[in-house]
Amino acid sequence: MSARRSSAIAAAPWAGLRTAAAACLRAWRRIPRAGRACFLIAFVNVAIWSVVIPPFMVPDEISHFGYAQYFAETGQPPPQGPVYAYSRQEYAALGALEFGPVYGSPLGLNRGIFTSVEQTALRRDLAANDYPLGQGGVTTATNQPPLYYALEAVPYWLSPSNDLLTRLVFMRLLSALMAAGTVLAVFLFLRELLPHTPWAWTVGALMVAFQPMFDFIGAGVNGDNLLYLASALTIYAIARAYRRGLTIARSAAIGAALAVGMLAKLTFLALVPGAGLALGLLAWRARGAGGRRALRMLGAGVGVAAAPVALYLLLNVTLWNRGSALAGGLSSVTGAAGSGATTITWHEIFDYTWQLYLPHLGFMNHNYFPGIYPLWQIWLDGSIGHFGWLNYTFPLWVYNDFQRLVYVLAALGAIGLWRVRAAIRPLLGLFACYAVMALGLLAIIGYLGARDLATSSTLFPQARYLFPLLAFYALAIVLATKALPRRWAPVLGGLLVVLAMAHSLFAETLTISRYYG
Amino acid sequence: MRVRIALGLAVLATAIGLVIDMSGSAPRLAGDDHVSWPARDPGVAAVPGGGVLCMHATVLPDDAARIVMPIHDSLDQTKRLPRIAVDFTNSAGRRVATGVLARGAVEGPAVSLPLRYPHGTSALGSLCLHVGGHRTLVFDGEIGAGTTTVNGVAASGSPAILYYRRGRESWWQLLGTLDFRFGLGKSAIFGDWTLPAIVLAALALWFGVLRFLVRELRG
Repeated sequence: MSARRSSAIAAAPWAGLRTAAAACLRAWRRIPRAGRACFLIAFVNVAIWSVVIPPFMVPDEISHFGYAQYFAETGQPPPQGPVYAYSRQEYAALGALEFGPVYGSPLGLNRGIFTSVEQTALRRDLAANDYPLGQGGVTTATNQPPLYYALEAVPYWLSPSNDLLTRLVFMRLLSALMAAGTVLAVFLFLRELLPHTPWAWTVGALMVAFQPMFDFIGAGVNGDNLLYLASALTIYAIARAYRRGLTIARSAAIGAALAVGMLAKLTFLALVPGAGLALGLLAWRARGAGGRRALRMLGAGVGVAAAPVALYLLLNVTLWNRGSALAGGLSSVTGAAGSGATTITWHEIFDYTWQLYLPHLGFMNHNYFPGIYPLWQIWLDGSIGHFGWLNYTFPLWVYNDFQRLVYVLAALGAIGLWRVRAAIRPLLGLFACYAVMALGLLAIIGYLGARDLATSSTLFPQARYLFPLLAFYALAIVLATKALPRRWAPVLGGLLVVLAMAHSLFAETLTISRYYG
Repeated sequence: MRVRIALGLAVLATAIGLVIDMSGSAPRLAGDDHVSWPARDPGVAAVPGGGVLCMHATVLPDDAARIVMPIHDSLDQTKRLPRIAVDFTNSAGRRVATGVLARGAVEGPAVSLPLRYPHGTSALGSLCLHVGGHRTLVFDGEIGAGTTTVNGVAASGSPAILYYRRGRESWWQLLGTLDFRFGLGKSAIFGDWTLPAIVLAALALWFGVLRFLVRELRG
């Protein structure tokens, strides 16, 4: 091989990267300035959160980090055998950081490292246990697809130090970028739905950017961050195609968002039927351009979505030897992870799912949530703030006041919806597809919760499980502002954003008092 | 103009709320012995009157002014506690902190024992409790945690201990300590500079978002 040819081959990937970077830059410049600002604001805010929260104090961060570290070290997902789950390095860090008592502290009174003596011991333990390759044993994350963890391998290796805690800092920044991407997707989604109200795009996006539980999860190494991004992108891509008409490129964009979601976390499968319905509806609306062309558009979306997933399934049973095509992951969708046979019936699953969102009805045999009303205690209070590993919260009055605010906003939202009904009417088909997506998610959370109840006494549902629908939260806020006359609507929007900022700020001070005070 | 006024008032309300929140005084933690609090297991150590309970290889924070731990009488929970003397011996064998709980204190899940630690830095060593009287006291904690002995014999677990700082403090008074703690238990790239940097970044973010909102909400 000539020297010129070999250097050309070596340069090819760089040329590809340059082309991709240039395309990204062009796409970035096409985004409205306000959208770019929302992205940057969200990134800085979540990056601040990522420094405030001590290592591994974001829910399930230990298992998500373990998966990402295994992937970064070996280039493949964990085999999930009955072996140690984490690397010696991670076990040493967890021990030296006193992870056990701190994360499990029911009153939130145990603390991590508070003295220079303990800090010295941490450095010593990490230096003595710097072997980063674990055995890839089963954890709550290992049956998930590997896309998030493969992406986290990039900052893992870009970290200037092999020190686990430094790598964690850089990996958290990637999660912050994903959170910022989610905010940007919400901005673009609102732009599609409300093209004549630019201030509403900013208000909706910033409401998501300063949602404290979203910030809390976004600040940690957790696969949910890619799930939120993929969900917001899917919702946006569908809205864009609905407003502007389906093309091959727009169909492929929907397919790409679906592929990212399915390879991010299996929960995303709950959104696929609704997204598939949307794709079908879009192709049906495009049939005027010719039946074959509409079919080609549909095929582009389905093909782009299915091809990477098919490759993943194939890799699981061939190169990666993960036991089955879904690597046991289907059990996390159709049953409690790691559980064996359960005896819960479909009737019980329906009752449980109903009660998870709606009041218990007299004819239902069993009350699954005695003494609490999940709509408030799980979903609303959980969104306002159940921080850490669900072990510290705001004072009770904060939740009571927010409940009153929700009543007011719901009333305003209903008025706003009525006022914009004429603009919404042409979008009813779109909202029907979104409703199927939302119902799919609610149903899968109920299903998993009911299955989990049969095998464990812990309360499964958490508010963050609804965050794939954050784009609709932003839309609801914007609708509430639309209840006011045109001159006052932006004022209410601005006030709600400052309230969200204050909420996020006080959540940070609460977090500082929990871990450092 | 109405947007500016509304946002200005909202920011003022937030700032007032923050100042009120930061000004609240309360007892502040100096640390703990990393045994789950509240105690998970009852009676991990039983100490007869005249006996000595020692927690080894434990860290005494430099700002510890009292110890809080669960102590009960083994037979009659209505009786008052005997005198309990406390001392902490560092790994060099020097007794660096002492304290005495006078006879007559009420037993319970959070008994407070004073500690005099006049010139200490945080130290690794042994914390010992010398139980007076004739009755047996039991200490709740966690089985299997730490290294604890009663009269030199290994106990099944370690008592749960919280260390508190002197008196009551506001968050303003604790800022220097928070700054120090904020750099611990993290990557070596962080340190004392981190909390001030975070505060500045948050201020800049607020300022930037408000300017951005004023511009975007004009229309």
